[in-house]
Amino acid sequence: MSASVPARKRVALVIGAGSVKCAAALGLWKVLRREGIDVDMLVGCSGGSIYAACMALGYDADETEAMTLALWNRDVTKRRDYRSMLGAFLPKLFRFRGHVGMVHDAPLNAALRTGFGERRFADVVRPLYVVATELATGHQATLSDGSIVDAVRASIAIPYIWAPWEVDGRLMLDGCLSDPLPVDVAIKEGADVILAMGFESPYPRRIRSATSYAFHVNSIYTNNLFRANYSFHNLAHHAEILPIVPEFGEPVNLFDTHKFAHVIACGARAAEEQLPYLRQLLALPAPSDAGAAGVR
Amino acid sequence: MDVVVEQRTVTTVVRITGSVDGLTADALLSALQAQIEAGNTRLIADLSGVSYTSSAGLRALLATVKQARSAGGDFRLASVMPPVHKVLEMSGFTTILKLYPDVELAVASFPA
Repeated sequence: MSASVPARKRVALVIGAGSVKCAAALGLWKVLRREGIDVDMLVGCSGGSIYAACMALGYDADETEAMTLALWNRDVTKRRDYRSMLGAFLPKLFRFRGHVGMVHDAPLNAALRTGFGERRFADVVRPLYVVATELATGHQATLSDGSIVDAVRASIAIPYIWAPWEVDGRLMLDGCLSDPLPVDVAIKEGADVILAMGFESPYPRRIRSATSYAFHVNSIYTNNLFRANYSFHNLAHHAEILPIVPEFGEPVNLFDTHKFAHVIACGARAAEEQLPYLRQLLALPAPSDAGAAGVR
Repeated sequence: MDVVVEQRTVTTVVRITGSVDGLTADALLSALQAQIEAGNTRLIADLSGVSYTSSAGLRALLATVKQARSAGGDFRLASVMPPVHKVLEMSGFTTILKLYPDVELAVASFPA
């Protein structure tokens, strides 16, 4: 009679919404690569979808960092979408389109195309799921085929900043409106061990403009949604969810790209803290048994 | 993980040391449930020696609080370390569990 062999645990990396803070996932990724720990699937939401897509496509950490530095900067928000704003404030005269985005999305779309080109979900080396929110119904939408640019563009469609994006005939908004840390997607796709890197949105010390007020209110909604969803997912999962929540020690705002190195280091530190338990969970040999690990 | 039980006048303090995770949650749950089944339903977990919890640990804590309250008591947490507090807060547990800065305050929170 042969002894039963325990099934290998399926590992998912889930990267939640968090704009520049999502770069912390690169620190985590570097630690996982150094340790030879691969993941069976990647799930990304909003800013996290950029990193999840890069990892799924097989980009290395340095390549991803360079790519996101080129993508995530103030140039992508410089151009205002006056047509959209006029449509919002003078709907009869300028024909309101059913949504509004204050920032013209042409620079953002161009930057995404530079980073991801014509790559599609079929091109990934690790399964990828990108979370967005359907405008018409408010439902979470898990995107797993078609164009990577379309999926990421939909997932990062921050309300009022960028217009929603159409995918398969449906207008999509930022995934953080329905599922800021989409652990549920990993559960549904059969993951056992889920590395959940999530971020709560910071609140500004002072609200100085209507835009900052809109951001503040949006953060209240999404932070509460983050906690409510995370609570349910923790209780619903049959195995383990490892929360990887970097401590940045200072505010990291939407376009603080000059803090990338710090953010990545914080992500790596948060990952190192989980490593001993992760190794036990995956039944990996202790570092001393595994020989000298190569550090990239 | 180690569990040390200390019986007080009307409460039972369970001092937990180590990680509360998928590798230890079953043992912790058994230890806590044994106290409730023995009639010690006013339970306090001293978490000053716990620096890590995961989803499996949270499920053990939730099962204990439900069982303690069903039996007419409560399960309260004391001296929660910042990393554990963060996970409890993120997962909504601070809205349903009573937390105290130290064991003595938790003990005093139960009516004599």
